Amino acid sequence: MITTDSAKLFFALLTLVANAAVLAGAGLWLAARWSKGAALVMDDVQAELTRLGVPVAFAVAATAMAGSLYFSEVANFVPCTLCWYQRIAMYSLAIILLVAVIRRDRNIRPYGITLALVGLPISVYHYLVEWYPNLETNVCSTGLSCSIVWFRSLGFMSLAYMAGSGFALIALVLALTPKESA
Amino acid sequence: MTSRSAQRRSSNLVRDAHEPSKPKWLLPAIVIGVVAIAAILAIAIAGRGKKAADTGGLQQVQPVEVSGTPLPTLSDPNNDAAVGMTIPTITGKSFDGTPVTIAPTGSPQLILFVAHWCPHCQREVPLLSDWMKQGSMPAGVQLTTVATGTSADAPNYPPSAWLQKNDWPSPIMADSTNSDAAQAMGLPGYPYFVLVDGDGKVVARTSGEISTDQLETMLKSLVAQSNG
Repeated sequence: MITTDSAKLFFALLTLVANAAVLAGAGLWLAARWSKGAALVMDDVQAELTRLGVPVAFAVAATAMAGSLYFSEVANFVPCTLCWYQRIAMYSLAIILLVAVIRRDRNIRPYGITLALVGLPISVYHYLVEWYPNLETNVCSTGLSCSIVWFRSLGFMSLAYMAGSGFALIALVLALTPKESA
Repeated sequence: MTSRSAQRRSSNLVRDAHEPSKPKWLLPAIVIGVVAIAAILAIAIAGRGKKAADTGGLQQVQPVEVSGTPLPTLSDPNNDAAVGMTIPTITGKSFDGTPVTIAPTGSPQLILFVAHWCPHCQREVPLLSDWMKQGSMPAGVQLTTVATGTSADAPNYPPSAWLQKNDWPSPIMADSTNSDAAQAMGLPGYPYFVLVDGDGKVVARTSGEISTDQLETMLKSLVAQSNG
């Protein structure tokens, strides 16, 4: 049975996988600058991403969008202003990446990376506001405040953290996906 | 000119020619496997039905009755139209049903409004609790707390458990579903402080986190004014 608690844990586990993938991908990219062995592995990864980079990025964006809709529409966690800004970026990513998957079009890379890099700093700021609410203001309005933390899975994973992890993974996957050959 | 990357790809082609090719379904299968494992773990660990928040049999909202003129909503603490106005009388109950009344009492009062989901209240409450435990509250000041803005869907519910966890010492009024007590006192945001003199007249109001030093200064001024 899917409950809000199981959904929180499900998305938290996926976020852990996303974090691991970002660390591994970024680490491999850095290591490939100096190590021939790492460069060979990176070539293998990029060869896979030629075919699967855009679909993987779409899967991440679609999963994030599904999670966001679940938490707002089913769990009734009302999105704040910063949540909406992140939604604008993530939902747009899901839509344009779907079109790119259907058209097998890797030219989506710069557009996707741009949207992900717009969403990422908003998530980082939102996450900081959750830990340090006085960054924004010292008072909760009678409406909705962005410093409200609906939950922290595993003690630190809020919705903003999850969104930021999604943006980071999408940006990295698209950056590592080889350009469309001329 | 051949780039290093192109050279590597070329050597990879030679290498790949001697290695069995990886099936195309391998990576999608890994992704689907990871998602499936996450789903199974999530359902197995956390999917045994949603536990309702433990209210300990206490009522988190209670009916509230207001008589008298409500205070205007605070907009500028430095130019507050409510200063000098008599507070309305508010009768309600604590979480356990104990009657709690906010009214002129002949003593200076601090009336504090907090919301369980508000992170600023979550920071302020333990600070004030420690401050009061140290005996820093000026003598003669009565404190009444109103737990308002209560929502079972919001974080850190129920407010009774939150305030109990922080050893909150003062009488607590549980506000109504429509936050009638907060509205009657002109609450603009949380936390919200209303300082009232012995005659029941508003001396100062402020909203938002304040330091215990600021509060102490305000309360000492309130006591001096009430004694003067």
